[in-house]
Amino acid sequence: MDWEKEINKMKVCDFDELPGPKSKEELEEMKMPFEEYCKKVFDVGNEFVKPDALKGIRWLSTTMYIFTPHSVTNLAELGAECIKVEMPRMGDPMRHTSPFNEAYLYPLHDTRPMSGTGLGFTNANSNEYYITMDYHVPEAKKLFYNLVKMSDGLTECYRHGTFDRWQQGYRTLMEINPRFIYVWGGGFGYGPKIFGGSYDILGQAHAGLASVTGAHEDFGGHATKATNWCIDWYSGSQITTAILAALYWRSKTGLGTMIEFSQVQAATRCLGYTAPLYGKFGIVRQRWGNWDTQLCVHGIVMTGKTDFPDAINPQDKFESRYVVLSAFQDADFQELCNIIKKPDLFSRYKTHKERVGAPAQIEIYKAIEDWAADKTRSEVVRIFRDAGLLAMPVMNDREVYESEHFRIRGTVRWNDDPLFGDVLIQSAYSAGLMSRTPRKHKWLWRPVGADNVKIYHELLGVPMSKIKELYEKGIL
Amino acid sequence: MAKEKREIEINSRADTLPLMGPEVRPWPVTPPPSPEECMKVYEKRKAGEFGKFLEDHLRLEYRFDKPEALQGVRIMCMGMWRMGNKFASGLLSELGAELINVEPPSGDPLRELTPFGREEYMLKDAATGTPCGMDFIHELRNAQSITLNIETPEGREIYKKLSMLVDIIIEEYPPGYLDSLGLGYRHLSKLNPKLIYCWIGERGQWGPMKDEVSKYGQWMLDPFGMAACSWVHNTGFPPDQCPRGGKGGDPVRSGVWLADYVAGEQAANSILAALYWRDCLGNGLGQFIECTAAETLMDILDFDITWYGFNASIKARTGAWDPNLNQYEWNPCKDGYMMIGGQTDRLWYRIGMCIERDLPLFGRLIHEDPLLKEMAARNALQALIKTYTLTTKWLRDINRIEAEQKLMEYEIAAGPVLYIDEVAEFPHFKYRPWVNVIDDEQYGTVMYSESTNAYQHRTPARVKSLGRPLGHDNGEVYKKYLGYGPMKLRELKAKGVI
Repeated sequence: MDWEKEINKMKVCDFDELPGPKSKEELEEMKMPFEEYCKKVFDVGNEFVKPDALKGIRWLSTTMYIFTPHSVTNLAELGAECIKVEMPRMGDPMRHTSPFNEAYLYPLHDTRPMSGTGLGFTNANSNEYYITMDYHVPEAKKLFYNLVKMSDGLTECYRHGTFDRWQQGYRTLMEINPRFIYVWGGGFGYGPKIFGGSYDILGQAHAGLASVTGAHEDFGGHATKATNWCIDWYSGSQITTAILAALYWRSKTGLGTMIEFSQVQAATRCLGYTAPLYGKFGIVRQRWGNWDTQLCVHGIVMTGKTDFPDAINPQDKFESRYVVLSAFQDADFQELCNIIKKPDLFSRYKTHKERVGAPAQIEIYKAIEDWAADKTRSEVVRIFRDAGLLAMPVMNDREVYESEHFRIRGTVRWNDDPLFGDVLIQSAYSAGLMSRTPRKHKWLWRPVGADNVKIYHELLGVPMSKIKELYEKGIL
Repeated sequence: MAKEKREIEINSRADTLPLMGPEVRPWPVTPPPSPEECMKVYEKRKAGEFGKFLEDHLRLEYRFDKPEALQGVRIMCMGMWRMGNKFASGLLSELGAELINVEPPSGDPLRELTPFGREEYMLKDAATGTPCGMDFIHELRNAQSITLNIETPEGREIYKKLSMLVDIIIEEYPPGYLDSLGLGYRHLSKLNPKLIYCWIGERGQWGPMKDEVSKYGQWMLDPFGMAACSWVHNTGFPPDQCPRGGKGGDPVRSGVWLADYVAGEQAANSILAALYWRDCLGNGLGQFIECTAAETLMDILDFDITWYGFNASIKARTGAWDPNLNQYEWNPCKDGYMMIGGQTDRLWYRIGMCIERDLPLFGRLIHEDPLLKEMAARNALQALIKTYTLTTKWLRDINRIEAEQKLMEYEIAAGPVLYIDEVAEFPHFKYRPWVNVIDDEQYGTVMYSESTNAYQHRTPARVKSLGRPLGHDNGEVYKKYLGYGPMKLRELKAKGVI
C-alpha cells in the first residue's frame, strides 16, 4: 500500500534503536534492585559462555620470576594466546620457589618426576602454553623467528642488550615483523645503571616505598617490606596497560613499538605527595605506621584480646586482634569519642585540622587502644558498626577463604585444574569483573616444556622426529 | 658543599618553609651523569651501539615529538576521595586519552587533604589562589576539571548528555548511589551502548561485605581494601623481632594507599581490553566493569589464598625477610638498611664470595653447610635465620654505600633502602629522570613521579599538567560538548547546578 511506503520514506530511525527498555525483560532489568542487577550482568560462574576480549592476540613470554610474567598473565586472562618460553629441563627459577620450601605440585619436567614446581610460581603464568628453547643454538633461532612472525608481541626480561646480541632484540625482530610489539621489563633501563639487576624487593627498597612503610623510627619501627612481591605484580600490570594501548594504536597504524619498563620507577610512582612535598619544601616523608598522615581517625588499632584464644594456628590464636577504624569526619569522630567514653577528646579536637596533627593522633589512638584493652577484635568491630561507624577486622588468609563475600563474587573459588585437580584460586576473577568479556582462569601452570609438541609441531610444522632430536640434544 | 653559608634561625615550622624549594635549591642538586658517561657503561659490555640505539629512540626528552596511543579516546572520571579513579584515569590520560574530571561544586575532599593538616604544604593555583593538597595535584594528570551537581534534576540531565559523548566513565561513588539517581550503567548504556563503564571501590558494590558509608555519610577508604584481603595481616615484623603495640611488631598497612593504586591500574587494563574488544574486534558494544581495592590486591597476593587451600597454611608476617627466597631481604647496617637479593646458585655463591672476603666465617658456615647447597632447601626457616644472622654480622660494621659498592663488584642485585631525598638524587633516577619537575601553568615548579610508560619507541606516555583548579574548564568543556555559552553557565551556576 502507498501509505506504508510513505511512512518508510519518512522514517529517520528504527524503533529498536530508540532509547528506553524494549522488552519485558529489559523493563524488569531497569526495575531490579541494584545488587541483583550487578549479579545478573556479571553472572559469576558462567564466564566461559562469554567471548574473550583479546581474541586472536598471540603473545610470547620469554620471562622469569613475577614482574614480566605478570604483564603477560593479564593478557592470558583476558583471552590472548600466550606462550611461555623457558630454559630446557630447568624452567623459570620461580618454579624452585616455595614458602619455607613446603608446597610443590608435581612434576617439574618429564625427566624430573620427583621435583615439583613451587607455589611461588602461582598466578604469574596462568592460562599459558609452556615451551622450552635454548636460544644459543642456531637451530633454535629459526624456530624463534618463526614464532615472532606469527605473534603480536613479546615480553622479555633479560639483561638489556642480551637479546640484541643474540640477534633477537627489537632491532632484529622489527625487520621480521613490523607489527611486533616488543617489551623489555627490568630494573633500570637505559642510563648509568642499565645493567643493574633488579627484584621486587629492590623496587621496594630503592624507590622510597619502604622508607614510608612501617612504624616510625621514634616508636622503634623499621623500614618494612611488604611480604608480598607487590612491586613485581603491580609493575607488571602497568606494562599490560602499555601493551594494550600499543595494540590499540597498532590497529590504526599497523606499526609495532618498543616499550621499556623499569619496575624500580613504578614503586616511586605510587608515592603520592611524597615527591612534590620534597621538591617544594624539602620535607622528607617518614613512616607513620598504621595511622594515616592525612586523616584521623583512620588507621589500624590493636585490641587487648584475640578472637580465637583456643585456636591451634598461631595466626588465629595470637594475631586476630587488629581492627581498622575510620571516623575522621566531625560527626563520626564525635561518635567515636562517645563510644570510648572520652567526650573531652572531641571538645579538644573538634576540627579535623586539629586532630590530624601528629601529637593529637598519638593521644587519640592511645585513648582508643586503652579503651580496647579489655575487648576482643570482634567486640570492637561490633560496637563501632552498631553505632553506625566504619570498622572491620584485619582478615587473615583463612578468613578471606571463608568469606562469603568473595565466594559469592567468584573472586575466591576452587578450580578443577587439568593437571593438579582442585586448586583454590584467588586471581584472574579478582582482577576485575567484566560484564561482556570477563577474565577467565583456565589452568594454573603446566610442566616445563609441556606444550612443545603443540607449538613446534602443530603451529610451526616441525616434524616429530626433529622435535625428538632437539629434545635429546637439550635444545628443547 | 653549599656555595655560601647562610645564617638561619628556626623557631617554628614557618621558618623552614623558605629554606628549600625549587627557587632556593633547584633539583637536581648535583648534575645527573652525562650521556657520555653512560656510553662508557654501555661500551664496557660491548653494547655501545645498542645503548646509543636506546638513547636515540627511548629517551624521555623525545616524548612530545611522538604521537599519542589513545588519541581520540574520551574519559569522564566521576570519583572522589580515593586514589583508584585518579590513577586509572591518569594512566590512560598519560597515554593520550582526553580526560574530563567531574567534581561536585564543593570539590573533591581529596583536595583538602594534606599531611598532618598543614596548610602551608598545600599549593595555590594561579587562577583562583585556592590551596589544594599535593596528593590530589600529583594524581590528577592531564585533566580538564569541571563541576556538576548531579543531585539537581538539571545536573542529572547534563550528566546523561555527557555520558553520550564519552567512551569511558570511571566511577567511584558509594555502591548504587549513581544508579539510584538513574545514572547507573543500566541507564546510561541505553543512551550510549558503546559506553565502557568502570566502577572502582574498596570491597565491592554488591555482596555481603560491599562498601559502606557511615551513619554520618563518611566514605570507606584505603586501608579497608588492604585489610580485607589479608595484605595487612601478612605485612610487618613478627612480634619476636619487634614488640607489638605500635613499636614495629604489628601487622602494618602500606605507607601509601597501595590497594587503591592496584585497583586503578587493573581498572585501566580492563577498560583498555574492553576498548580493544569494542573497536578492534568490531563488536561496537561497551560493558560494565567493577574493580575493587581488596580483590585486585588479592589478585597479586602471591600464592597466599591458594596456599591456604593447599594445606591450610595462614601466611604470617616475616618482617624484612622473604619466606620464599634466600637471599632476599634487607637487614640493618651501620647507617640504615641494606637490601640483598639473589636466589639461583650462581647468585648465592657470588653473594657468599663477596661477604666472606671480609668475614671468612660466612664462607665456612654458609658455603660448607650441605643443607644450603640446594636452591629450594635454602628457603627453610632455619636456613634463613642462619644466613641472615651472618649477613647482618657483616653489615653492622659498614655503611650502605660501602656494602653497595662491595656487592656491585660481584654484580649482585642489591641496594640500600632510600628516602625520597636520596631517591631524587640517585644518579640513575635523575638521569632518566624518574622524579621530574614540571613547570606547571597553575602551580609553578612541581616535582612529580614520572609516568612509568613514558619510555617507548612510538607512543610514550607524557605528563602535560598536574592537578587543576576546581571547575577550571567549565567554560571550555560545556561549550565544546553541549554548546553552553557563558550566559547559560552563569544561569546554571546561580541554580547550583555547576
